[in-house]
Amino acid sequence: MKFTSMKIKVTILLVILLFSQFAIAQGIDISGFGRTYEGVNVKNGDFSIVQQTLNLNFEKRGNNVAIKANPIAYLNNQDSLSVDLREIYMDMYFKNFDLRLGKQQIVWGKADGVFITDIVSPLNLSEFLLPDFDEIRRGIISAKLNYYIGNSTIEAIWIPQFAPTIRPDANSIWYIEPEFPVTPVFDWSQSGINPSLKNSEVFLKWSAMTSKLDFELMGGYTWDDNPSMHVQKQFTMNNSTIPPKPMLSGLNITPQHHRLAVAGGSFGAEILGVVLRGEGAYYNGKYFQTEDPSAVDALIQKDYLNYVVGLDFNIAGVVFSTQFIQKYILEHNDFISEDKFQNTATFVARYNTLRETLHLELFSYIGLSNNDALIRPKITYDFDDSFSLLIGANIFVGDRDGQFGQYQDNSIIYTKIKYSF
Amino acid sequence: MKLFKAIIVTTFVLLSSLSANTPLTGTQIIEKTYNRPSAVDQTAMLTMTLTNKNGQTRVRKIQQFSKDMGDKEKSIMFFVSPADVKNTSFMNWTYDSDKSDDQWIYLPALKKVKRISSDSKSDYFMGSDFTFDDLGGRKINSDIHTLLREEIVNEKECYVIESKSVNEDYMYSKTITWIDKNTFIGVKKEFFDEDEELLKILKIKKMEEISNLYIITHSEMINVQKDHSTTIILNNVNINTGISENKFTERMMTRGI
Repeated sequence: MKFTSMKIKVTILLVILLFSQFAIAQGIDISGFGRTYEGVNVKNGDFSIVQQTLNLNFEKRGNNVAIKANPIAYLNNQDSLSVDLREIYMDMYFKNFDLRLGKQQIVWGKADGVFITDIVSPLNLSEFLLPDFDEIRRGIISAKLNYYIGNSTIEAIWIPQFAPTIRPDANSIWYIEPEFPVTPVFDWSQSGINPSLKNSEVFLKWSAMTSKLDFELMGGYTWDDNPSMHVQKQFTMNNSTIPPKPMLSGLNITPQHHRLAVAGGSFGAEILGVVLRGEGAYYNGKYFQTEDPSAVDALIQKDYLNYVVGLDFNIAGVVFSTQFIQKYILEHNDFISEDKFQNTATFVARYNTLRETLHLELFSYIGLSNNDALIRPKITYDFDDSFSLLIGANIFVGDRDGQFGQYQDNSIIYTKIKYSF
Repeated sequence: MKLFKAIIVTTFVLLSSLSANTPLTGTQIIEKTYNRPSAVDQTAMLTMTLTNKNGQTRVRKIQQFSKDMGDKEKSIMFFVSPADVKNTSFMNWTYDSDKSDDQWIYLPALKKVKRISSDSKSDYFMGSDFTFDDLGGRKINSDIHTLLREEIVNEKECYVIESKSVNEDYMYSKTITWIDKNTFIGVKKEFFDEDEELLKILKIKKMEEISNLYIITHSEMINVQKDHSTTIILNNVNINTGISENKFTERMMTRGI
């Protein structure tokens, strides 16, 4: 929930702070953090981000019921305040099942930093993939039922109202303007999904944790979080050529979300001290952009596979984690704007020292198909158990056509100071 | 039939007296220590205080549950403080067989239970002076145990056992444990580094009888090389309350205390 008026936002923030006083009196558990985050562009020295954050968790837990509210406020630069109620839900606990109702973040799968079966909660990509993962995911209003049988769980989710992935604003440094041969006209009138029973999303998962293997099997009937661009071309005759030829004179683009059926699974197992992880999903009926002149609205429907395999292991106290991710479009043809295969890797090395007060980490996304990468080194020092200083960098390198290389002008070094309570 | 019974009883008495007079080996003493009566299940609030050489302290509070299920032991820990790890949970399944432990961690920020490698038992636990092995995760046959001598510590007659790892790369070259001859409870332990220099001393500060079992409720590990120490105090200890097996599942890891 975003509020546009500054006065309303400040009022809401004050109400939240006043509620905190009331909550303390009622024995509600309050935790959270305050954080200041400043980043400088390494190319031009401009401040790419100047952000102050207040994150509050209100929790009240009983034997059979619990409630949680998680408001978060971001102050960007001097006066751009956004307040979001990231989660607010109620839990009800029964003998063999739990029910959670309300706005909640739902995380599935065994992969890290990639979203293959983890597609229940939409994403906020307004700052690309840079925010912490709990801040990338959006809360979604839903009903979640977990039924337990021994070490296994059946989870059913009903989402009455679709929420899409948030993309960067047109004035954001993370917005990449698509190139068109002529200036397009966008018609956003069909980009929303009317909330109704018919337009609901449903997901089902069976998972188990055993001594040999952890696994999840999932299926979902959902909406594509990213809209498909229905393109209609207008032509006029170019009389300056002999003979006259049709010439592209206009583009009408109508973004629309379409239904997707998804089935997949994931697993994790330890073999000789190495944790092997895997995750994959089959997506049925995704619309891809095509240059096929016979295609309606420059779109073609194809199925695709997305999967990952990963290893986690320790060497001399350093924790390593590496993943290979492949997206494969079935029955691909050369008109489709995306490649048949798209290969990506991730690599993490993490080391804690000085009695777990100094944390060193290197995280990278590596675009194997486009020879580009996002490299994210960071050092965190805990002054005490509440107060930490982080110094890091987000370095984009490689081919400008790649999903990471396209942001190579946005590389930053940054610092985050965080107080947890 | 009477004769047969008499032979059996006589043989049993003879064998018993023989075993009473036969000195125990180091391995037998360690086995008795491991196999002494223990709780089927236990809950406690664990307070861990880390003190550095300047006297500065950091405190961690953990609610822990454990249950012996015959061929395996399951335990689960919920981190209560400090604030940045609050609601994190850690579950461990240890097996009597040679099978490696199974371990999972739930990080509330990621909202995901992750299986982690149990191949890091030499890592220090939450910045303390205790490794996972020190906290009880080490198997008897991981070391060769030798009875060195008997001596009195804290007015208790003790066996002194030297344990050397069968794995040459282990972080300790040896440990020496003082075990009370009457109760078979360890009262002190010294840890030696790879250069055979004294690294740490574990002292048992307090033991309480709870539900007819002796429970160590206050212990201290001192790293003599770093001049750093960690005390562990157990409060609200409850024994054999019949914790359900369902406590040790993903459901409880994510729900919390």
